[in-house]
Amino acid sequence: MIFQDAAAYAASGFHPKVCIIGAGPAGITVARKLVAAGIPSVLLEAGSNEWTEESQEAYKGVTIGDPYFDLDATRLRYLGGSSNHWAGWCRVLDSYDFEPKDYIRNSGWPIRRGDIEPYFNEVRDILDLTAFRPDIPVTESFNWFEVIKSDPVRFGEKFATELEVSKSIAVVLNTEVSELKGDGRSVTGAKLWSRGAPAGVIDARYFVVATGGLENSRLLLWSNERSNGGVVPNAASLGRYWMEHPMYWTGDALITNQDAFEIDRDGDVFFLPSPEVLARRGLPNFHVELETLPFKGAVKAFIAGMSCAAAPETAEWVSKKLGQRLQCTSRVRMAWEQAPHEHNRVVLSATERDAAGVPRIELHWKKDELDRRVMLEGMRLFGEEFARKELGRVHISDWVRDGSDYPDGMELAGNHHMGGTRMSNDPRLGVVDRNCQVHGMSNLFVGGSSVFSTSGQCTPTTTIVSLALRLGDHLGRTISGS
Amino acid sequence: MTLAKLRIPTRRRFLQALLAIPAVAFFRNIRQSESDDMVEVDGWILKRSDIL
Repeated sequence: MIFQDAAAYAASGFHPKVCIIGAGPAGITVARKLVAAGIPSVLLEAGSNEWTEESQEAYKGVTIGDPYFDLDATRLRYLGGSSNHWAGWCRVLDSYDFEPKDYIRNSGWPIRRGDIEPYFNEVRDILDLTAFRPDIPVTESFNWFEVIKSDPVRFGEKFATELEVSKSIAVVLNTEVSELKGDGRSVTGAKLWSRGAPAGVIDARYFVVATGGLENSRLLLWSNERSNGGVVPNAASLGRYWMEHPMYWTGDALITNQDAFEIDRDGDVFFLPSPEVLARRGLPNFHVELETLPFKGAVKAFIAGMSCAAAPETAEWVSKKLGQRLQCTSRVRMAWEQAPHEHNRVVLSATERDAAGVPRIELHWKKDELDRRVMLEGMRLFGEEFARKELGRVHISDWVRDGSDYPDGMELAGNHHMGGTRMSNDPRLGVVDRNCQVHGMSNLFVGGSSVFSTSGQCTPTTTIVSLALRLGDHLGRTISGS
Repeated sequence: MTLAKLRIPTRRRFLQALLAIPAVAFFRNIRQSESDDMVEVDGWILKRSDIL
């Protein structure tokens, strides 16, 4: 069932056992999993079934610290959530991403990769993926690995018909939860805002907050403030330990042996360091990507082939004068895991509110010395092994070597919003436990990348869906058992 | 101080890339790697045998 607003839903008389807030990949996945357990849920979506400026306006906010994307551009607020601009790149966190590391403070999850592996077949069905291929050693410390570049699933489109005809899921569009009410032991209701006005309070036995890796923190921070600690009783880490995947072009490479590894259809090839070398160097996880075709088009490729062999710098200078972009070497791009820091956090604005009266987000986010070190040491590690194996030679960009400011005009980060309601067995270091249940609350759960304890180096969507399946499974068994 | 020629013809393409770097800049920044067999020249990570 799909209702266009809270009034239409209220008239339906539908009685959900679970209220899921947010109809993105996590929310839709939890709802679908509950259907399998015969459990009815209401799925509240603040936006419409398509993008509107009015809905997106609620996502405006500011970032304090390092430059970041506009907060109303890095995420989408309509049915399907940010899957609507997802690139489709897939890989699951590696085993060692879940393990604590004595050289990274606050690392480690309370679960292991084995806890989400049972859901991988379902993940592949949901995201229309082929099987994950194993990594292949290429040098002593680096493996080739596959990033599945899938045809991105837009959750609102793929599951539209299923949601429309479902008798067990009631999707309510244009309806946001402005505030959760709680008494320090359980959520007692969710205040609704729909079509520009208060729309009553919804009740359910269980609540799942799945509004995204920024918005989850925002909703819980505001709800907790309004209820005087009644929604997140252990709030020391709420909003904190927020992480992104910084991404920058960090150099160039000449590949002299292209037969040594597989290059994908876009001309890209990805390399991953071993956990042993990361531990030896005290580095967070990262990957190195070689873009062998930084230029696109048959004509450019031909010119590049002719001129780059003769005089690479001249060829690039001439092409720049002609207003073209030609690069004779492969471009090296790195993306890396940020250490979870308390000071990187989602905070509520003291002055700015949206139309529903909810304070806007102030994202406090700053890269640090470890981010610089992982770039430089990662490039050196990779470059040395690349040369030693006679695969080619790597050049590290000046700005990486001399500590200059991060350049403008580069990708900057992945639009990956992780942490803020991280998992931990310790309520002081996390908001949710190993089952994504908010510490101290009997009926409140969180879905999505905000529960990530650490971020690994890979894109989060596959892991988000895995965790959502696990959460739906757990909820289903919990509710059925009770 | 002059740049020694690379003796091995199969590295011709690599040599061309190095020669494209301005000569003044080439010697500006040489960093000894932690590994005996490697050296970093103006950001290029090279085997010692590349420049001998």
